[in-house]
Amino acid sequence: MGTSMTDYVVETKNLSKRYGDFQALDDLSIHVQRGQILGFIGPNGAGKTTTIKILVGLSRPSSGTAFIAGENCSENASKIKRLVGYMPDRFGSYDNMRVHEYLDFFGAIYGISRKERRHRIGQVLDITNTAYMHDKYVESLSHGMQQRIGIARTLLHNPEVLILDEPANGLDPKARIEMRQLLLRLSDEGKTLIVTSHILPELARICSSVAIVTGGKLRAFGRIDDVMRQLCPLRSYEVQIAEGEQVEIAANLLRSQLLPTEPVTVSRSEQILRFPTMRTERELASILQHLVGSVAVSQFREVASDLEDAFLSIASETASPVPVPATV
Amino acid sequence: MTSLITNPIFQRELLDRLRSQKTLGAILTIAIGSSIMVMMRWPSEAAVDSMSQGSMQVFRPLAWGMAAAITMLVPAFPATAFVTERRRGTLALLLNSPISAMEIYWGKLFGNVLLSMILLSVSLPALMACFAMGGISLRSHIGPLVLVFFAMSVQYSAVGLWISIQSQSADASLRATYATVLGLSVLSVAPTVLAGNLTGIYSLIAHWMTAISPMSALQEITGSQAQADAIGISTGWPAFLVASIGTTVLLAAATLTKLNPLLLDRPRPVGRVLDAKNSGGWLRRITYLVDPEKRKLGIPWWLNPVMVKEFRTRKFGRLHWLIRLIFFSAVVSLLLTVVAATGTVRWGVERIAAAMVLLQVCLLLLLGPSLGANLIASEVESGGWQLLRASPIPTWRILIGKLMSAVWTLLLLLCATLPGYLVMSSIQPAISGQVSNVVISLIVLIFMVTSVSACLSAFSRTTAMATTTSYAALLILFAGTLLIWLARGKPFGPLLVERALLFNPTAAALAEMKTPGFAQYQLTPQSWYVGIALSLSCLLVLALRTWRMTRPD
Repeated sequence: MGTSMTDYVVETKNLSKRYGDFQALDDLSIHVQRGQILGFIGPNGAGKTTTIKILVGLSRPSSGTAFIAGENCSENASKIKRLVGYMPDRFGSYDNMRVHEYLDFFGAIYGISRKERRHRIGQVLDITNTAYMHDKYVESLSHGMQQRIGIARTLLHNPEVLILDEPANGLDPKARIEMRQLLLRLSDEGKTLIVTSHILPELARICSSVAIVTGGKLRAFGRIDDVMRQLCPLRSYEVQIAEGEQVEIAANLLRSQLLPTEPVTVSRSEQILRFPTMRTERELASILQHLVGSVAVSQFREVASDLEDAFLSIASETASPVPVPATV
Repeated sequence: MTSLITNPIFQRELLDRLRSQKTLGAILTIAIGSSIMVMMRWPSEAAVDSMSQGSMQVFRPLAWGMAAAITMLVPAFPATAFVTERRRGTLALLLNSPISAMEIYWGKLFGNVLLSMILLSVSLPALMACFAMGGISLRSHIGPLVLVFFAMSVQYSAVGLWISIQSQSADASLRATYATVLGLSVLSVAPTVLAGNLTGIYSLIAHWMTAISPMSALQEITGSQAQADAIGISTGWPAFLVASIGTTVLLAAATLTKLNPLLLDRPRPVGRVLDAKNSGGWLRRITYLVDPEKRKLGIPWWLNPVMVKEFRTRKFGRLHWLIRLIFFSAVVSLLLTVVAATGTVRWGVERIAAAMVLLQVCLLLLLGPSLGANLIASEVESGGWQLLRASPIPTWRILIGKLMSAVWTLLLLLCATLPGYLVMSSIQPAISGQVSNVVISLIVLIFMVTSVSACLSAFSRTTAMATTTSYAALLILFAGTLLIWLARGKPFGPLLVERALLFNPTAAALAEMKTPGFAQYQLTPQSWYVGIALSLSCLLVLALRTWRMTRPD
């Protein structure tokens, strides 16, 4: 048995996966502590699902290792399957089956006794707020309901780690909020979660840490604040001008104070000027003083950058330039 | 309205399939098969025989073989056409597009019909070679045969589309379509054959029911009119054309009335269930025996959960439906025995036993391939396979659970028809040994059907493709060997015919019952060994394939 020497519940070391000439994953090293939620972010084809498949024992890495609760994912696949609750991006519906029969089947294939299964089905339906779906047909559930039953299914065998592929995909705002609350509740109960999503503000609200992958490579990894500080060193500011006719004057004043690498954008309709900068608070105070002396400033504020900005900054860095065909 | 050629549905249905390697494989199989038949009977002397029996000996199995191929292969794709589109959500897109419901329907219908006619056109050189051999005319044989094939393709495609638009799942639609096609092509002649001389309105109804089946038309075209007259099905090919046009028009109208956005405006099933203590009155319990709305207990430890899941996911796998199906089979079996015993039809025990064997084989061949073909392909298609792979259940348990769900269903159906045999054994105790050999042959048939179709299912990505491939493979195996038997004497020698029949447990069962035409063959127990060897080979391939599918990528 390969036991990791760390306290991490999930850990990958130099994980790589190659399909023929295609490098799906390249030297990925991440780790998650117990009770944490890791947001796994990347564009389509970035290597998220490949990583997840390796973690749940559905794929073998070309090189590197992955551990869950100290068990090597490729060597102890049968143990891993009991340690992990996996929800793929497809629900996996069966016809003519009611929700309790569906969960009963999955409980049975995990070897849970009939008595214990009945108890667990009640529990997981309560946890996911889906007890009222108990007798409904699985194929007749809406997408949001199916996502919640999918999570109930992953919880049946009480796994230490939950790996959820796009759990908020296609959910309406109310269902997304409920999903967010559910994931936070599971984290509070000590479950370790790895969640992929394209809805980055959702992830930002629940994740303790994030890993951003593009083209199979890990671009950023760590606590959200650290990742954003690392990826977005430029802070953005907004200046609201009280008089519309003074907007141009204020813009010219600002440009004279800033460098060409700190471009000023003007929104005349909003009477707002925006600029990114790495200047200190003292330097900013000087600029503001200069501005207030010439025009009527009603607001001066920092705009908080978010996970989307961080992701976009990486995506724009790593995007290969597309050759533009010559027009005739 | 855009013309048919520019109809995008027609183009998609036809051209996309024409591009596939499987279509190329089907074309080559038909071309090679029909060529071999002609080559074997081509006259060595350079003279045309105007009374040629040789050409008819090739023409007859060729015509019946192609008819069997149409019956088994044409309905598969229309049967899944609308139900698959609805489940994928593409039907909503089509109904919201400027294309009319009529264009969608005709595009699907004729896309499928033209594809089947293209496949059949490959056999035209073989048919023309029969013509060149003499004794076959364009006007009496080849022309009507092509018309009958076209009408069959249109009729069966219309049946498939009609059932598909009403079905909730692809596999349910496939089963219902094949059952209806079987009813139209074979069972529709039953009133005429069994009831004998009818008069008045009953005679007219029986006449047009017989005309719906292509059997009479094919017998007339292949020169077997005397046999058709003997059992009273002599409606002829023009009547079949009229009947098939009539049924197609009715089915098209019925389908078109449903092909509108209201089709998608259905409430979700409520899913009401009752606890055992509140499960309603005595009437419910008597009606259903097993109450479908009673909440099920969990899967017990001694049952394979995959097998239970397979039964539960089939509409007819639920106990209340299985009981009805078995009851129906038992009643039909006993009725046939009563017919023999009372002498309503003076066929004798052997013929009735042969009819029972054929009935059982039809039932097993109707249900078997669709059950077997669904085992792996539908799991992959629904996304459930990924979940099974991610669970700790071992591959062998998945496989055994799935196989047993098909085998148990077919064995239960077989058991349901045993009362008929028991009654026959009591009428004629001498045949009890034959009856046990027949039952063993049918058990071998069940294992063959299940293992072949499950094996093919593991190599298919969609249920429709798995079902079509299974029916095609079993058609080659069962109908193919019977076609060789049909052409016994010429061009196929007795040794070759006997060896070919060893692959067909139906032939072994018919030979045991001393059915005319099969009585001279001694096929048991060799036929059982061949069947078991074939089943084990398929199971080995299936096990290896399934094991590979559950391994990490």
